[in-house]
Parts: sequence; structure tokens; C-alpha cells
Amino acid sequence: MSFLLKCPNCGERSVYEFRFGGEVRQRPAPEAEYEAWITYALYKRNVAGVQWEWWYHRGGCGEWFKASRNTMTNEVHQTLLPQDEEQLG
Amino acid sequence: MDHTEILFRWNGLTVAGKSGDTVASALYRSGVRTFTHSYQHGRPRGLLCLAGSCPNCMVNVDGVPNVRSCTMPARSGLTVLSQNQNVYRGLDSPAVKRFPAAPALSESQHHYEHAYLQFDAVVVGGGQHGLEAALASASRGMQVALLEKEPALGGYVRSTRSGTVSIQALMEEVLAHPLVTTFVNCSCFGLYEGNLLGAVQVDFGQPNAERLLHLRAGSVIVATGVYETQFLFANNDLPGVMLSTAVLRLLHQHAIVPGKRAVLIGDAERCGELQADLESAGLEVVASVPISSVVSARGEGHVSGLVTITVIYKADLVVMCGPLVPDVDLLAQAGSRLRWNEGSGAFLAEGLPSTVSLVGAARGDGVINQEYLPPNSAQSKDAIACLCMDVSGHDVVQTIEAGMGHIELIKRYTKLGKSACQGRMCQMAAVCLSSHASRQTIAQVGTTVARPPAPPVTLGALAGMRHHPVRRTPMHEQHDRLGAVWMDMGEWKRPRYYDADGTGNQGRCVEQEYRAVRERAGVIDVSTLGKIEVKGRDAGRLLDKVFTHKFSTLPIGRVRYSVLCDELGTILDDGTISRMDEQHYFLTTTTGNVDFVHQWLEWWVAAAGWKVTIVNLTAGLASMNLAGPLARGVLEKLTDCDLSSAAFPYMDWRRASVAAVPATMMRIGFVGETGWEIVVAAEYGIHLWNQVLQAGSSVNLLPFGVESQRVLRLEKKHIIVGVDTDGLSNPYEAGMAWVAKLDKADFIGKVALARIRQNPLERMLVGFELEGSVVPPDGSPVLFEGSPVGWATSVRFSWEREKVIGMAWVTPAEAKQGTRVVLRSEAVDYAANIVEEVFYDPTGQRLRA
Repeated sequence: MSFLLKCPNCGERSVYEFRFGGEVRQRPAPEAEYEAWITYALYKRNVAGVQWEWWYHRGGCGEWFKASRNTMTNEVHQTLLPQDEEQLG
Repeated sequence: MDHTEILFRWNGLTVAGKSGDTVASALYRSGVRTFTHSYQHGRPRGLLCLAGSCPNCMVNVDGVPNVRSCTMPARSGLTVLSQNQNVYRGLDSPAVKRFPAAPALSESQHHYEHAYLQFDAVVVGGGQHGLEAALASASRGMQVALLEKEPALGGYVRSTRSGTVSIQALMEEVLAHPLVTTFVNCSCFGLYEGNLLGAVQVDFGQPNAERLLHLRAGSVIVATGVYETQFLFANNDLPGVMLSTAVLRLLHQHAIVPGKRAVLIGDAERCGELQADLESAGLEVVASVPISSVVSARGEGHVSGLVTITVIYKADLVVMCGPLVPDVDLLAQAGSRLRWNEGSGAFLAEGLPSTVSLVGAARGDGVINQEYLPPNSAQSKDAIACLCMDVSGHDVVQTIEAGMGHIELIKRYTKLGKSACQGRMCQMAAVCLSSHASRQTIAQVGTTVARPPAPPVTLGALAGMRHHPVRRTPMHEQHDRLGAVWMDMGEWKRPRYYDADGTGNQGRCVEQEYRAVRERAGVIDVSTLGKIEVKGRDAGRLLDKVFTHKFSTLPIGRVRYSVLCDELGTILDDGTISRMDEQHYFLTTTTGNVDFVHQWLEWWVAAAGWKVTIVNLTAGLASMNLAGPLARGVLEKLTDCDLSSAAFPYMDWRRASVAAVPATMMRIGFVGETGWEIVVAAEYGIHLWNQVLQAGSSVNLLPFGVESQRVLRLEKKHIIVGVDTDGLSNPYEAGMAWVAKLDKADFIGKVALARIRQNPLERMLVGFELEGSVVPPDGSPVLFEGSPVGWATSVRFSWEREKVIGMAWVTPAEAKQGTRVVLRSEAVDYAANIVEEVFYDPTGQRLRA
């Protein structure tokens, strides 16, 4: 794995500078069904294709951001800060 | 040519070489013909390609095995040994095969380093097309790297009669161009995602000096040319049977005439050119024959003739003008498909990524293998197809006949293509044999999947310089002077104990430190603990969410111990949280976990969009824990702060001047005595440490290390996350049900913990006392009535109980006061009894005193 990832603050950098933070998922509400919690805690969607993921710029600015990556090709389509995503709607 | 003599050792004899010689050319010049023996059958092997492709010239140089002597420049003082000397020879039966006894590996002198470089364009291959490509890119203003695996630019023309004359001007222009950086002796072994090229540059001037280049390229131009591969006929592996590349290199690069009478095999055009070359060097060319007429080479230990269908030629040199294979390993590894091209008789790469291009012979330009068809199977049967693994044509045909005709199966079953030459000498042979035997076209047979690295890379180069970062606390030198015996904790160095009188008696030193803390006072450097500041509007909200306790209601001035869990209720870390102000908290974490905790907090903040600033202050602060029944008196000498329990109770913090420097004091007690954790700026660490030691000298205060701290806290049953807990431990099992505040609306792990509480526990962390006085190691299994029920996490001798005590995971049925269990280590049993109560000061009176 040696692709480049565009940190929203620092620009395009080697993936070795980053820590992978897993799929972007919605945490269930505290009162949600137990099954929903089990799914959240134990199951990954493990998409073969494009998914949104968390990445942390460990060797750089120390920012958590989201990236849309094709898990088959490691092509990164878009990266953004969580607050920018809210602005995008 | 310079005639300076180079002297080195070859199997105990002294060999002389000339300047410009490789180890192989020097050995050949001095008459060596057998360089090694084959790995499986011990067949003698001599020079074949002389171009770094085949396995035939691999030797042991100064203790490093498998060095290709044809690429290794000769240097005075080298000790060169031939390899595979101990293969059982004589009986060609697998039953008596023995693996060769390789020379013992030794830690040889080496210098491995890594370099990270970026270029607009990287050109792989310094032949004519590579040079032109580099110049073309540079003339457009691009920064260019030019990688050449040989010691000089020029490519194949370096081993022609006229040498590099025809491209001299081009070479000079490239070398003088300010935008082109040239790397010679540099083999590119992989092309990875994002145009990352891996290359190894060897500095032959010193032993085992290699630099691994991580080259990030805007575009990649592959100009790797072709390599020559062998023909199949009986005894094709005899020394004296060479590829034309080897003969040309010996002639034109080393001025060695490689024989007297030669027979050439191959197509008429290439044989004709080579014949002219050889004859002008004084060699007699007896005949040039097409491969289709060749039956076998003959000779004992060295070729003495070639047998064709019609004639037997006497010769001391047989030259194969072998098929030329476009060198597209890099592209194949990167995912390009290889498609058979009938016109050129070669597999050509297609489907290149947009930023990768291919030029010159590697693209197939000018490659026409007229005679690529394999010789008939009768001829090829006794040929060695795979030199590395001694796989014969017969073996390949048998494999196909046994039903394993797929090229990948042939490779896996016979091991053909799986060794040092990485298929360069055998892949085409196997493809042709398979095509012949299975009556498929070569295109249908295809090639095996290529994977990096090719060529092979030494593990040392990949490992690099093996830097081990070391972190030292601000008081490191002080500990050293006090006789600290160091231990590693992650990157940190911590004193295990202080060997003050230099006796090295750990048991006695630890006991003295222990007694100082329990009876008088002791001080320990805890600067390695993680220290994190959490500030901002949502700071309390964040801590409520990630910790099991509530912190938004913690009064300013108070400290609370808590744990971090994940959504499964597993303990991730523990520490103290101090509320400094309305929107300001100060956290401590375990030594190894601070980065994790920091990132964990940051992630929840990012996910929730809260306004919190989190700063890891660990490196900026020094901290020490002063503890013991006389600690208060010691600290009072250094501060005006009222230290009485009424004014400064247990689990409170205060800011005050201590030893005339600004400090934060937290009244906490990991070791179970009245104590203060004093935090100051790192710059004041030494000052405060010295002041504490001085103030404590009247009560004989001692500095204590991690080992005595571990005994002290074990007597209190205070857990160490990661020592007493593992990746599955939850607070209920760990006997810390009180940390799970399930009345809180929400926190990470709450749902799981609520469920865990309802169900029976699977195991419990309990204390135990041993009946004997011998201390078994941490991690020893625990047995009940002969059956395993758990394991011990910490075992130490307790001076308080005058017994060996510890903590262990056991099944709940055994987790009761007085249950008799057994710890087992190295087949010795240690009887133990479960103790539910805390071993020391169960009511915590001493902490609060």
C-alpha cells in the first residue's frame, strides 16, 4: 500500500503518514435496539468499492478527516474535514 | 586499462584482478571455470549471463551469501567462497539429497540506509532510450531521476566492440544536465501504487553498503531493455556454455578472450555478428548452428564439444545467442498484462497506467526472436530448464502429463522460477515446454504472476539503519548518577531500581526502596505517564462520553480515577482526570497509551463536531510521585501550601510554588501511601527532583524504581492496564464494577457494560497468596484440581505479607476466599490460596492520612 492521500490541511502525502480509522459509521442512539449496537460494535460493511473512511494525519497536522476511497484500487476520490461535510449538507 | 593489481581470497587461494574487474571476471581471468554447484544435484556451474540475471555465479563474499560475483566489483581484501560445496554428489536420487550446509551467518559490517526522494519523472534504465527519455523530460523543465543498475550509463552498447562511442555525446549531455540526477549501481525492484518506485543503490566501496530509495515519481519511464535467456538441450548447464551477453562482456568490458574454439547457437544474423567479434579477438568459430539441430553439449566438468543431429563439434566454448526477453518485470508487478506477440516472439506489456510509459527494446522495439520454438522434446528432456532448482525439461513434461499443465501449477510443483533468478532463465523455457506438451499456443499458456521485489533485495536494505528511538525523562541523568538499572517501557527508559551501592543485588535494593515508601518516604519519576490537556466549551461533555465516570459535575479542584472503554466494554486505558477550571481538565494516561488516548479523544471530538482543544503535554512536563508516611513533612519544607488532609484532602489538586517553581500537586496514591504527584515544567524537573531528595535526606527518603512500585501497587491490588488486563478485560471482571456509572445517560461502552452486568461473568481478576516463598514468573497458568482455570498476571514477594502474592484471572467458581489453586511453571507446581481482600490497608486509611 503506497498510495497518496490528500490531507485537507497539508495536501497530498504518502499514506504512511496516516493512521486508518475505519469506516465512517453512525453510532446508534443510547436507546437503540441491542441488535443495532451489536452490529455497530462487531460488524464492518467491508465494502468492495468506494466507501467513506476516517483517516488521521499522525505524521502531520494531527487532524481526523474523512476520505472516500475505492477499496479495490486505493483510488481516493475526495477528502474533507467533518465540519466541511456539514456545510456541504 | 589500468593494471593496478587487486588481490583477494577465493576458497583460501589468492586471486589477482585488474582495476575494472568484477569478482567474476577476475576469477575467470585467473582460470576459474566452476563458480558454484547447483543447489539440488551439485552440478558444476560456470558463468552464464554475466549480467546479473542467472544464479550461476553466486558466491559468498565476506560472509554474505548469494552475492552475484558478476555485479560485485573486485576489491583487495575480499574473502570469497564458493557455495553449495556440501551437496551430496554422485547419486541423482532425491532420497539422498541433502540441503547444503551454508556458512554460518554472521553479523557482518554493514551500512544500510533509506532515502525518500521525489521527482517529476523517473527513468529506469540508462541505455540509449533511457538517456533520450531523461533528456526529453529534463528539457521540459522536469526534475528527472535516471536509474542504472550497472556501474555506468550506456546499456548494452558498453559490451560491444565500439563501446559507448555512438552515444557519448548523449551521455555527456545527460550527466551535465542540472535537472537530471543519475543513480548508478541502482536496481529498481518494484513499482507500487502512487508511482512509488523501490530501488537499491549499492556502494561497492565498502562492505554491505546499500541505500534503499523510495522514489515518488510524477511519471515513470521504463527503459529496461531486454535480457537474454538460455536454450534447452542436454547438458546446457555445463561450464563453458554461455549466453552471448557473457561472452561480449568478457571480451569488451574485461578484455578476456573466453576460449579458443567456439560453437555458436542461434539465428544466423546474431551468430554472424558475434562470429565477427570473436574472430577479431583471435577466437576460432567452428560453426554456427540453429537450436533446432542441437542435441547436447558434452564434457566432464567443462564443455568439450557440442553434438548436433549431424555433427560432433570439438569446442571449449558454446555460445547461445538466446531468445531476448523484454524486461517488463516492473510493469508486470504493477498490474500490466503481458500479451504474447507473435511477430517479436516475446511477451509485451500492455494496459499501462497513464503515468507510466515504456520505451525502447523493453517495449519490444527491434526484438525479433526468430527461433523461439523449443527444440523437440527429445532434445529438451535432459536439459536443465531451471538452473536455480535443477528442474529438467523432463520434470516439466512429467508435471504437465500428471495434469498440472497450468503454468502456475508447473511453477508451484517443480519450484521452477521460484528462486534466485526469479524466472529470468526458465520462465520462457517452461512456457515453451508447456505449449509444446499441452498443444496450446504460447499465448494460451501465458506467464506466471509477477510480484515485487525483482531483483531480490537484501533484508538489511529493507530494514534500514534500525533506529530505535529512545525517550528519556528530564531527570534521566540524575537517575544515572543514583545508580539506576534501566528498563525499557516502549520508547522510554525508566529506572527498574537503583543499585546505589553497586552490588547489583536487585532483591535487596528493591526491598530498601519498598521499605522507604512504606515506613518513611520515597520518590519516583513518573514523567513517562501520558499527560493531556483538554480545554474548551465541550470538554466536560467529551469526558462524560469517553470515560465511564461523569466529569461535567466534578468540582474544580478535584481529581478522579477512571477508565476508558471501547463499545464492547473492554478497558482501553486508565488514569486520573483533574478539573482545573470550568472548561479545563488535565488527564494522565498509562505510559504506552498516550498517543492512542489522544487520538481516541480527537476522533470523538471530530465525529461529534464539538469545540474542544486537546494537547498532549507529556514531553513538556516533568512529574514525580512523593509518597510515604513522612512524605508530608518532606514536602512541607518545599512549599507554603497547606498540606493537611483538611486543607488538601485525598483526590484533590492544588497549584502552588514548590521549591520556588510553579507546580501542580495532585494527592493520589498508586502505591497506597499518603502522597503527591508533583507536575512541573520539564525544565524544572532536575531542580525539583534534587530539592525533594535533599529535603528528604533527614528522613532517609529514597528514590524508588518501577520494580518496587509494582510490589507496592500489587499489595493495593491496583491494576496496570495491559499487564493485569488484556484485550478482552472489562471492569466487572477486573473487580472494578464501581467505575461503570450506568446511571449516566450515555458513554462509550455503556450498552455493552449494562449487558455484561446482567450476565454471569466468564472470569474474574483475583488476588492470591502462595504457600511457598519461590516466585513463579508472571503469566504462569493457574490450575484447580488439575484443570486450567486461568493465569497469573503479576506475581511478587510482598514484604507486608511476608509471602508471595499476586493477581490472576480465574473462572468465577474459584474466585472465592481460600480456594486452593496451583500455579504451574516449568513443570513445577506452586500452591496458592485465593485472597479476596486487598493485601495492604484495605480501608485506604493510609492514603487519606
